[in-house]
Amino acid sequence: MTRTAHRTLAVLLALGLFAAACGDDDTTDTSPTTEAPAGGEDEGNGEGGGEGDGEAATHRVPGDFDTIQAAVDAAAPGDLVLIEPGTYEEAVDVTIEDLTIRGLDRNEVVLDGGFELENGIRVLADGVAVENMTAQNYTTNGFFWTGVTGYRGSYLTAYRNGDYGVYAFDSVKGQLEHIYASGSPDAGVYIGQCYPCETVITDVISEYNGLGYSGTNSGGDLLIVNSTWRFNRAGIVPNSGSYELCYPGRETTIVGNTVHGNSQPDTPAIDVALLAMGNGILVAGSNRNVIERNLVFDHERTGIGLVPFPEEEANDVVPPEEDWDRPCEETRNDPLPDLDPEALALVLWDPVGNSITGNVVSGSGLGDLALGSLQPDLASLRNCFSGNTFETTAPEQLEALAPCEGDPTATDWSAGALDLGALIASERPPAVDYEEAPTPEPADQPTMPDAETAPAQPATNVPFSVDLAAIEVPERPEGT
Amino acid sequence: MTRAAIRWSRPLRAALLVGVVVVAACSSGEGATVQAITARGADTGPQGRVPQFKVECGWSHSASDDPIVHPGKPGRAHLHDFFGSTATDAGSTPSSLLDTETTCQNRNDTAAYWAPAVLRDGEPVEPTGSVAYYRPGPGVDPASVAPFPAGLLVIAGDQTATEPQSVDVAAWHCGASPILHSDPPSCPDTAPLGVRVAFPDCWDGERLDSEDHQSHMAYSDDGACPDDHPVAVPQLVFEVRYPVTGEPTGLALASGGVRSMHADFVQAWDQAALEREVRTCINGGKVCGVVSNRATG
Repeated sequence: MTRTAHRTLAVLLALGLFAAACGDDDTTDTSPTTEAPAGGEDEGNGEGGGEGDGEAATHRVPGDFDTIQAAVDAAAPGDLVLIEPGTYEEAVDVTIEDLTIRGLDRNEVVLDGGFELENGIRVLADGVAVENMTAQNYTTNGFFWTGVTGYRGSYLTAYRNGDYGVYAFDSVKGQLEHIYASGSPDAGVYIGQCYPCETVITDVISEYNGLGYSGTNSGGDLLIVNSTWRFNRAGIVPNSGSYELCYPGRETTIVGNTVHGNSQPDTPAIDVALLAMGNGILVAGSNRNVIERNLVFDHERTGIGLVPFPEEEANDVVPPEEDWDRPCEETRNDPLPDLDPEALALVLWDPVGNSITGNVVSGSGLGDLALGSLQPDLASLRNCFSGNTFETTAPEQLEALAPCEGDPTATDWSAGALDLGALIASERPPAVDYEEAPTPEPADQPTMPDAETAPAQPATNVPFSVDLAAIEVPERPEGT
Repeated sequence: MTRAAIRWSRPLRAALLVGVVVVAACSSGEGATVQAITARGADTGPQGRVPQFKVECGWSHSASDDPIVHPGKPGRAHLHDFFGSTATDAGSTPSSLLDTETTCQNRNDTAAYWAPAVLRDGEPVEPTGSVAYYRPGPGVDPASVAPFPAGLLVIAGDQTATEPQSVDVAAWHCGASPILHSDPPSCPDTAPLGVRVAFPDCWDGERLDSEDHQSHMAYSDDGACPDDHPVAVPQLVFEVRYPVTGEPTGLALASGGVRSMHADFVQAWDQAALEREVRTCINGGKVCGVVSNRATG
């Protein structure tokens, strides 16, 4: 790692990239969108979402069908698949739109991959809601949506899965709520490749994963609120990379979360989770994120840290900032630029335009609030820090150096600067195989109200609205 | 998906090939009479642009067996690294592989994949793993792609090559980089050395094998399969990763020099599962999985 850091620095120097400006100086509109579609109640979608005759049918497993897959395949859009308690050794594919797939008891309806099957439920159709069940021991993911418009996961437990717990890729208009995710080497909850994502993540507990939350190249009306991210290698990690589309990551709004103890040494972990270890909220080369009113404590490295992500052997370079407002729908069809391989040997994703306000942060080894880059002019990255409660920052006086409003009242960025080389080079406890890691068995989780009687509610009305202004900094949990 | 828009135009590719050629530095010791090629692949770049599914398979074993070229003759071939079915040996057939143990993350994939062993200073390098991508061939309509027939045998690349092959067929690369090389490049710790072999994506619709083990298959051209090989099947892109970083000194392949890269595939999937993946992911236009540089630690 040290050698990599040195090489990184050398390449940057050689390329003269230190002088690179970060685009024009317009003030970023970081005010989060609160007007998600009003919802919660179905708008007639619960009754026969298909264009057929109306009534939504209910298909029971194992009453009407032996397997979840058989029930799902027999369903019509708008229908409800209702699953009785039991263990189901299935990898379910959903290709019919607007289904509601529901367990009758979150803790007793268990999909078990037996370390043999890939995904618990893989959804490839729009508007599908998955509710009130557990998926464990899958070689890749517990619950996975890909390429869909409209998705919802509610009252889901994902335990000990080989990549992600709950995973939405290339998908928009989503709601992930009342989720418990543990024991995955990548993220407990992951949102990848979408802009604008138009997705709400709320009431999640994510623990004992490589990363609590990870989002690569995702953002835009993407809210992470009122959730707990603890005992992972690292807590909440928005990031960027060019091996998949829609880079860079940008505009994730992170409010009212409890983030603590993300220095857990014995979890499964992919390489970047090891690299990110010991940080609460780590913005790794993601931009224009709003991080507000979170409670963050007990981290070996930083509480809220903004750092670059150096991507070696990249597929593309960082797009110019004027392109960051373009939706993924559009940029995904851009021709690949004519690039010299040398330009791709190292691409540096810097954190730009992030706003860190009103958080309560304590107990961080290298700085409760921290900002680092390989580029010497940190001010040019236009990140800002105001109104936080903290003990330490790196560099010192970070709120005076980079206030969100008004002029800086300090100018010395060198005192107590974050030592990225040391941050990268220091030792980490090695990853543990997800099948063998000492991930605690999940305690019983709150089950969905009225699972037996609630009507089908396909994911055609999500995300639900969030009153961001009403969210307060969480109280410190008892016993922490 | 406007696949055409992302393909490199032929003049541009030609310019790249000429302009980006690096000094021949063949580390295999053989006579490097033709300059090495370094170029962006015609079909590389960020994943997510075209539908795909992928299967990650660990290294199973190494043996001097080749059930396609030297069936029933153990020890007759050069040293191969095998992935997928753990039962593959010189006597394997598609039917003998069905339902065997597999190193693949998707246990329905009991196919056999193999490539020549990479040697460093004459000693085999144990691979860290492999990825089999299944995608439409470049520019091919995803809806037109049919599953591989059960029992298909395929070889890609030229094991006798001493001059650069098309890097779009057989190449070295670093991690998930889109830059392909005819000779091994120097790779950083975060993106170690790998090889990448792209299999032909058009089938003659009749034969599961042929005398030269190749003529029953062909590559599509400009998004279309040729008349004598009219059936579009997935393009299998098989990548093997090695724990090799830094200067690529002392490297060779068990088949010869570093330019003799090739790979073999015996299609022994659970056929229903393969058909489901092709239908759901490729025909359905979905990205069912991506692979990053972010290897599991």
